[in-house]
Amino acid sequence: MSAVKQAEMGPETTAIETAKDRETPIRKLFKAQAFQIFIVLLVVIAIFSAIAPDTFAQLSNLRLVVQNASILAVLGVGMTYVIITSGIDLSIGSVLVFSGVVSATTMRAMGGDDWGTAIVGIIVSIGVGILWGTFNGILISKAKVPPLIVTLGSLGMALGLAQILTGGVDIREVPSVLTDSIGYGNIFGAVPIISVIALVVVIIGALVLHKTKFGLYTYAVGSSEEAARRVGVKVDRHLIRIYAISGGLAGLAGILSLSQFGTTAIAGQSQTNLNVIAAVVIGGTSLFGGYGTIFGTVVGLFIPAVLQNGFVITGVQPFWQQVAVGAVLILAVYVDQVRRSSAARGGSTSFWRALVSRKKK
Amino acid sequence: MKWKKSVLGVLALGASAGLMLTGCSGGASSGGSSAGAGSDGYKIAFIQGVAGDEFYISMQCGIESAAKDAGATVTTQGPEKFDPTLQKPLVDSVVASKPDAILVAPTDVKAMEAPLKAAADAGIKVVLVDTTVDDPSFAVSQISSDNKGGGAAAFDAIKEAHPEGGKVLVVSVDPGISTTDARAEGFQEAVKGDDKFTDLGVQYSHNEPSTAAEIVTAALQKDPDIVGIFAANLFAAEGSATGVKQAGKEDSVTIVGFDAGPAQVKQLKEGTVQALVAQEPATIGKDGVAQAIAALNGDKVEAKIETGFTIITKDNVDGDAKDAVYQSKCG
Repeated sequence: MSAVKQAEMGPETTAIETAKDRETPIRKLFKAQAFQIFIVLLVVIAIFSAIAPDTFAQLSNLRLVVQNASILAVLGVGMTYVIITSGIDLSIGSVLVFSGVVSATTMRAMGGDDWGTAIVGIIVSIGVGILWGTFNGILISKAKVPPLIVTLGSLGMALGLAQILTGGVDIREVPSVLTDSIGYGNIFGAVPIISVIALVVVIIGALVLHKTKFGLYTYAVGSSEEAARRVGVKVDRHLIRIYAISGGLAGLAGILSLSQFGTTAIAGQSQTNLNVIAAVVIGGTSLFGGYGTIFGTVVGLFIPAVLQNGFVITGVQPFWQQVAVGAVLILAVYVDQVRRSSAARGGSTSFWRALVSRKKK
Repeated sequence: MKWKKSVLGVLALGASAGLMLTGCSGGASSGGSSAGAGSDGYKIAFIQGVAGDEFYISMQCGIESAAKDAGATVTTQGPEKFDPTLQKPLVDSVVASKPDAILVAPTDVKAMEAPLKAAADAGIKVVLVDTTVDDPSFAVSQISSDNKGGGAAAFDAIKEAHPEGGKVLVVSVDPGISTTDARAEGFQEAVKGDDKFTDLGVQYSHNEPSTAAEIVTAALQKDPDIVGIFAANLFAAEGSATGVKQAGKEDSVTIVGFDAGPAQVKQLKEGTVQALVAQEPATIGKDGVAQAIAALNGDKVEAKIETGFTIITKDNVDGDAKDAVYQSKCG
């Protein structure tokens, strides 16, 4: 195969690159983008801890940051799967709101304040989310409409339907068992229950992605849809499942948000989709598909959360956080692009090398 | 690995520049990190309902000047939208920074109750300014304008301009915000008391001027004979005036807006808006600081304070009512 043909093959050649690997596991760990982003997160935490040791570097503060990031973590797992298949899901914020609204309406109609009502509400919320996700998936895989457009459409439809159902008025009657336990309850007195739920979702998501056939097929579809189809992977059905998972997790996030805020917050969540996409991309998942980790997504989530928390505590205008996150996002995609192009040329995938070494002409 | 020549050059320059700087600034002591809080000054944190709103900026100015007199320091934070999902993480972070007192404008009567109660449980004195929550028992004091009276006064202004009666519309923000709900309630109760006027109901603009403009143009299409529009806050008033201007109905529709930001005063002077009900945000802020410090010192606090309002019209905007206009910058 000539060098020219190899350069044209794009993301498939990263597979060839990893086949040539003869490095030790530790070296591979250090090279993984998710780990490098983790180092960035640790540096940010260290800097803020040095500036404000008795306010930032406290367990109580850390607890609150984790609690506030929990809902985004649940959404991030679904989004990671979607982006690995080189798709995108813009509708998660609206599906979150819609499933919260349907769930709250059902619980209000049932009237009770006990776990029976609450469980029905949880099932309804997740079910509605799965329905929206399946709707997205069918349009994307069968009707071949681009994911960006389909999810943009369902973003509008879900939010509009939520507003029609409620007349634009938030529903504030949420069973107190939900707000007391999931919303603000703690295990062992210190660990927020909502974060434990998010952790369970993250761990299951990571295990499925990295250790099962389902996860392998996800990477395959993202890497090259046509190749996966020819090898026998049922791509259409797989895509529908992926978007259904993303929708279902948005439904779960909807009931979590309902528990935490005690209201459907219809007007909120307008920027959630972009924040989650930014978190996933910062964490090392490639927008062009075929590469990504759940661990990276979690790290990518914490960077904006820690930045905002740190800026507020040190008295800096929180708007700087958006500037910082935007810059990190562009940097993360640039790093990804450099790695891909050097892999396509058959060189090493080290970003550092690509930047500072003299290229052979 | 052979290094790129350009990178080597940048590194060399950077290293020599760094060495030079350390050499020059040699003895400059880093000095104590300031924030110069006097040893007995209280730390007060002010959490606005939304950043960039002249109402809250005027409140900030009042808080800062009152704090300066009392020897306290103030930090101000505000979410970019009037939204509890954005305000809650801010409140949590502010609580973690351990201020002595928090002055806060909650963005939702229910959603902000739990985080603020947690702040009060942590020993921080909480004063609710402007908006309030369903169960304010954890707060030291609640301070806001007499919003219901303000709504009724707005109706009086419309009645004066159109004594023959007609249709009136309310453009509010979002249901669940205590202040705008009270204003709409005051206005609608006053309309009910007068048979000559028909109430077209309340529309919600979600604190976006563009949404308010769309609502107003659509309403004018449906009912071209609307005589009065009551806009319940600053952004609603801005947008409603734009909507009326777009529909070309400045001469037939009387708009009364709540809040008196610079853009609204401009619209008042141009004649698109006929009257503004100005609250006293700086007074709310000053009272908030006074109550917080009283609570910290262990003195008696007033559980509820209602501040007044001024009706600004084209006639008095440059005269008596000049000080009632909101500021977009302090000092």
